[in-house]
Amino acid sequence: MDRKASMISRFILIAFLGLSSATLCAQTPWEVPADRNIKLSQTEFADQNRNTGKDLYMTNCKSCHGEPGKNNAIRLVPQPPDPATVQLQQNSDGALQFKISEGRGPMPSFKNILSSADIWNIIAFVRSYNKDYKQQIAVRPTFGGEVFDKVSIQLSQEQGKTSVVAMVTGERGGLKKPLAGLEVKLFVRCYFGNLIVDKPIDTDANGKVNFNVPNNLPGDPTGKVALFAQLSNEELFGLVKTEAVMTIGIPTSKPPLNEPRALWNVVQKTPLWLLFTYIICVLAVWGLIFVVLFKLKTIFELGKAVRVDD
Amino acid sequence: MASEVNTSFLKDRRLDRIATDILRPVGVDRGFYIWMASLGTLLLVCLYAYFIQLDKGLIVTGLRDYVSWGMYISNFVFFVATSLVGMLISSVLGMMGYKWIKPIGRIAEIIAVAFSAVAGLVIVSDMGRPERLPYVFMYGRIQSPILWDVTVVTTYMTLSILLYILTMIPDMAISRGRIGHAPTWLQKTYEFLSFNFKHTPEQYKILLKAVRILLILIVPTAFAIHTVTSWLFAVTTRPGWDSTIFGPYFLSGAFVAGSAAVIILMFFVRNNYKLNRYITLEHFDKMGKLLFLVSIVYFYFNLNEYLVPAYKMKTFEARHLTELFVGEFAFMFWSVQLLGLIIPMILLLFKPMRKPMPMLLIAIVVLIASWFKRLLIVVPTMESPFLPKQHVPDAWMVYHPTIVETAITIGTITLAVMIISVLMKLFPVIPIWEVAEEESAHPDQQPVE
Ligand code: HEC
Repeated sequence: MDRKASMISRFILIAFLGLSSATLCAQTPWEVPADRNIKLSQTEFADQNRNTGKDLYMTNCKSCHGEPGKNNAIRLVPQPPDPATVQLQQNSDGALQFKISEGRGPMPSFKNILSSADIWNIIAFVRSYNKDYKQQIAVRPTFGGEVFDKVSIQLSQEQGKTSVVAMVTGERGGLKKPLAGLEVKLFVRCYFGNLIVDKPIDTDANGKVNFNVPNNLPGDPTGKVALFAQLSNEELFGLVKTEAVMTIGIPTSKPPLNEPRALWNVVQKTPLWLLFTYIICVLAVWGLIFVVLFKLKTIFELGKAVRVDD
Repeated sequence: MASEVNTSFLKDRRLDRIATDILRPVGVDRGFYIWMASLGTLLLVCLYAYFIQLDKGLIVTGLRDYVSWGMYISNFVFFVATSLVGMLISSVLGMMGYKWIKPIGRIAEIIAVAFSAVAGLVIVSDMGRPERLPYVFMYGRIQSPILWDVTVVTTYMTLSILLYILTMIPDMAISRGRIGHAPTWLQKTYEFLSFNFKHTPEQYKILLKAVRILLILIVPTAFAIHTVTSWLFAVTTRPGWDSTIFGPYFLSGAFVAGSAAVIILMFFVRNNYKLNRYITLEHFDKMGKLLFLVSIVYFYFNLNEYLVPAYKMKTFEARHLTELFVGEFAFMFWSVQLLGLIIPMILLLFKPMRKPMPMLLIAIVVLIASWFKRLLIVVPTMESPFLPKQHVPDAWMVYHPTIVETAITIGTITLAVMIISVLMKLFPVIPIWEVAEEESAHPDQQPVE
């Protein structure tokens, strides 16, 4: 076989493998991590939850999954299952919570759209289509039996620019105490969404975490970066979050998108080629229209001088 | 149009007969009053609908977040499209030296004037806050095709009106002393519109030059007006609009609609004004062939526009095309393609079908179909956005035009018909001087009535 032919056949083979693996992917079962699979709601599903869940379902999910029990989901590949079916109901509460939060393929991820309480409300609604369902309620986790009035994170900068320290403290009766063994995440605010810095890390015995900041992190013209840190586990103390602005980035001054002459910009910033084309076309055509009007005037004037009887 | 006029036709006694024939229907009579009064009443009802819209806002229409361009914008495209025939007949065919278009050139110009003038109003009907229209000029962005569209629509309207008035100047002068049966105010208007024209060779020379400039200018402007209208759609990436052939596709479709409109008016002029000596069977035959020609070009563009994406069936195009071919819009789509394009094309191949009566029927169906064709271009695309429709009430997802909106649309059509009626009834519909010149140049030719 000559080289060209062998290349073509190799190409076809690769394309074929690629295609078949793509189809295989879509059919693989949706793996749920073990710890997520056993997760349960901390509150008992009541009518109020089901009603809120119904509204949320109707606005967020119906367009794909259809109305539960009516089997009117839209046809997609893979098929969004009707919530009343066994396929969906066989999921554990935790599995449902995971799948709705994370999404897969055409199924969107809702973790940034709905709060975790609302996702549980939707699950409450979905479960109302399952007669055999008996809810199990999670035991509220405690932090070693300790209770706090307030838990907070302090962010500080250390060793020049290379790391950010987060410290988690619990407060009770005016006494502060560092909390160990809590996972903290650090984010940078970006134009679109947030960027995680380093990785989620547990606090050490002093309640501290050291995040390594990459040395190419772009900041504003003075190197400032907007950060926030939060505890990963919202079930212990609710949402614990702190924001801060720190000079840890590389000073960057990129011209803003609305600076140059561009199609998307305001009229004063029309691209010159477009401006000239437009003006030249308009002037040319309307100039000629005025030539025609002028000729009309000449006809009129010529007629004044002539006397004929027709 | 010739660059020189042989003024000897003015001495030809044929001129008298032609002028008398063509000027006979001119003026106001009872029939005209009744016709205008009925149209006026209809218009008032539609204006009331517009008043409701002004008062309550666009919520009284079926337009919502997803389908924000419904009947109004489709109607706008239809109006712009139909008006283009002025350019096709007077400029393109006229300048190519086809003499047969002379008696029907003015009919085409009347359509151009009426439809381009109302097109602007149709756009205003789509505005929730019409008093903000000046903002288009105050804050409009040159980058936006909307501004280009506003510019070319106004320019085309101006050119059409000028062409209509200029080519009528010699007729106004000829009519002096020949329209004694018309009311005085109309005679005064004629006097004014004759611009002191005394048929001197010099005046003819200047007039022809001016008309020539207009005829040439109209070609690129007409191309621009409809190409820019198509760009309003084609510069987006939405399925059904994201097409590189949208400009020519719209243009060729425009000629189909416009030719049909000309045929309808030709039939009316021939029968009601008894002008069958001037608008002859041959004219119908020729217009039939023209309609066939433009239809087959349009058919070719349709084939490209639907077949190529349908062969590829890209995700979003597929959803849109399925709606058209077998889905919600299938009935309208196939009716429009069959009744408005394919069947007329086949029928027009046969000579008996190019007689006035069959042509009238064909033209009416084609014109109605071309209105719905515009709806099919606008609405289905708006109904299939890229992201799944969610967080909105069900009624927003599909477009249901309301009575108010329909009435306003009917109102714009009524207005166009009224303008056409006035122009056709109060002024000579056939250019007297051009026909007289032609007849005196070829005295031996007898028209087949
Ligand atoms: C854009 C369409 C779409 C929307 C909107 C959508 N889903 Fe889905 N959903 C899908 C598809 C497609 C699948 C199948 C995904 C797969 O198997 O890879 C799916 C799968 C699921 C599953 C897993 C079913 C199983 O087989 O285990 C659950 C649970 C689910 N969706 C719940 C929801 C809920 C709740 C909402 C609303 C908050 C929602 N979906 C909104 C398309 C959608």
